[in-house]
Amino acid sequence: MMNKKTWFAIGMSTMLFGSVLAGCGGEEKTAKNENKGETKEEQVEVTLAGWGGNPMEQKLLKQTLDEFEKKYPNIKVKHEVISDQYMDVIKTRLIGGEGPDVFYLDAFEAPAMIETGVLEPLDDYVTDDFDIDDFEKPLLDAFKGPDGKIYGFPKDYSTLALFYNKKMFAEAGLDVPKTWDELREAAKKLTKGTEVYGFGVAPELARLYYIAESKGGKVVTDNKASFADPKVVEALQPIVDMRLKDKSAAQPNEVGAGWGGEMFGQQKAAMVIEGNWAIPFLQETFPNTEFGTAEVPTIDGKKGTMAYTVAYVMNKDSQKKEAAWKLISFLTGKEGMKIWTSKGFALPTRKSIASELGYDKDELRAALVAGAPYATVWQNGTNLPIIMNNFNNQFVSAFLGEQPLDEALKKAQDIANKEIEAK
Amino acid sequence: MFSRKRWKEAGTAYTLLSPTLFVLLLFVIGPILFAIYLSFHKVQLLGTASFQFVGFDNFTRILDDTRAKIALWNTVKYVVIVVPTQTMLALVLAATLNAGLKGEKFFRIVYFLPTLTSSAVLTLIFMWMYNQNGLVNHVLEFFGLPTYNWLGDPSVALNAIMIMNIWSTAPFFMVIYLAALQDIPDSLYEAAELDGANAWHKFWYVTVPYLKPVTSFVVIMGLIGTFQLFDQSYIFSGGSGGPNNATLTVVLLIYQYAFKSLGTMGYAAALAFALAIVILLATWLQRKFSKEESLY
Repeated sequence: MMNKKTWFAIGMSTMLFGSVLAGCGGEEKTAKNENKGETKEEQVEVTLAGWGGNPMEQKLLKQTLDEFEKKYPNIKVKHEVISDQYMDVIKTRLIGGEGPDVFYLDAFEAPAMIETGVLEPLDDYVTDDFDIDDFEKPLLDAFKGPDGKIYGFPKDYSTLALFYNKKMFAEAGLDVPKTWDELREAAKKLTKGTEVYGFGVAPELARLYYIAESKGGKVVTDNKASFADPKVVEALQPIVDMRLKDKSAAQPNEVGAGWGGEMFGQQKAAMVIEGNWAIPFLQETFPNTEFGTAEVPTIDGKKGTMAYTVAYVMNKDSQKKEAAWKLISFLTGKEGMKIWTSKGFALPTRKSIASELGYDKDELRAALVAGAPYATVWQNGTNLPIIMNNFNNQFVSAFLGEQPLDEALKKAQDIANKEIEAK
Repeated sequence: MFSRKRWKEAGTAYTLLSPTLFVLLLFVIGPILFAIYLSFHKVQLLGTASFQFVGFDNFTRILDDTRAKIALWNTVKYVVIVVPTQTMLALVLAATLNAGLKGEKFFRIVYFLPTLTSSAVLTLIFMWMYNQNGLVNHVLEFFGLPTYNWLGDPSVALNAIMIMNIWSTAPFFMVIYLAALQDIPDSLYEAAELDGANAWHKFWYVTVPYLKPVTSFVVIMGLIGTFQLFDQSYIFSGGSGGPNNATLTVVLLIYQYAFKSLGTMGYAAALAFALAIVILLATWLQRKFSKEESLY
């Protein structure tokens, strides 16, 4: 608390010193490889940065990278895991000219990053072999810049689906809801006081976006917030009513859980809307919770869900662009993607791989795959982070009953737009 | 004016000082000047770095920024409650531990332990205790008191951080008070006793006035520390300042503008500069108020 500056100074010098050491280490390795004379071509080391996953995912990535190194023996991949505050670290490193050659980029952050011009457009590298039309179009479009160029290829994606507790449904004698009205009724019947809630809600824009737009309103118009639209309010009101009037919904922290999957696993919610990531989590952490998945219930007869996707992108200042492209094209190519998505932690963005691996017939994952064609990709312009932040802040307060939803959203929209205009 | 010898002496002195001066210039003075420079520019660091001079735009923007107002309000609320409470608590703790009780040393150690814990670890442990089904709510329930959703309810989230911080910083100031208490001459208490003072009188008319310069120091350090509240609210809210901006502090807002949104580094620097002025003002007011001229 007292000597932040001193600590900062020490930290900085350690980091600087550390990077000097790291630099030495890297050179040594390449030198060794050259001495062995394994290949005639020059040895290149490409850095790949991403966030960590669960141990299984890390193993899969390792396997994919090993395959890559086997195929291109002159390229060595240095995989760096940034475990926390991924975007902060990446931005800082790019500013300092120390950015990795290839790194993960969430679709949500993509427009702002593309705008700054730190990413390499990839169109010129693409060959016919790569088969660009094989990608799910909405997912690929998420990484197109305003100039129409492609700045990244999606490595995988996940949609949202309804997770329901089989035992609780059987006890209550209910069918899996197909519409939101049915879901609301089911939630009432499944609620047991404050012990078990029918429906666990994540009161965040990232999870509610498709619901907000289900009645024809728009959350974002011309890169500005427009979610105070009565149509958006009307679409979101049922969620708030479920908590305040029906008392059949709650957010995870009200029952002491960190997120929806945990709340569902602890059997404190009979239904949650979560993504692919919740499946292995539930199977490993809560093997006793029997669950099934279904497509997200329809609103006014229309299907809707969210899609979250992450791409491999290339640093514009990279010195090893050829090798970097080989890595990207392998990882997002048919061969690499097949290994990476083979265990179902993430869904393949290539149609050919999806049908080859048969996830559309998988008991738990079919509902998620089915959502892909009609999903809303979680992305909208460069100002979505500001819009999201303000929406989340006020929506929670409406969700908890501190203020009416229309007022809360009006306030959030005004603050967000003021912030955007001041930029 | 100066003789050669004195020049030479000064030269040697500066040579010996140079490593420290170098570090200070590079890591303290330099960044401060650069922050001031940034605060007058619109800065985009990513991609092709650009610095566009905008005069006082960044500062006028603060006046129109609703979230800045919320952050300042939260911070002020936090300071006004935490500083007096932790100062009083520190004084009371110190006084009791100096009264010559049995096992005094043991309690001094026990009380001081929270200060030794890193604030990040402390916050995580407290978040666990503040959980809806956590220890704090169980204790409250046991005594028939109402329970709260400490982490998710905007109306209590900041209070949760206040309680945690008072608990962890008060002992630090207690140690400072303890040191000062050892300095009070026994003769003062003896004289007071002869005048017929009871324990309370002695505390209020001898101990408290004698500790005034220390109190002044404790309050100033407390002001500076509390205005800079960041790590606890950052961990508490996962960096968002939520729920509903309840834990948004000025430094957290600065962090968000500097690192979360692109191209607002200049505005963040302006906010930081404004915060420095606010702290300066608060400290100055405190000194005027306590009319303490000596020492610090």
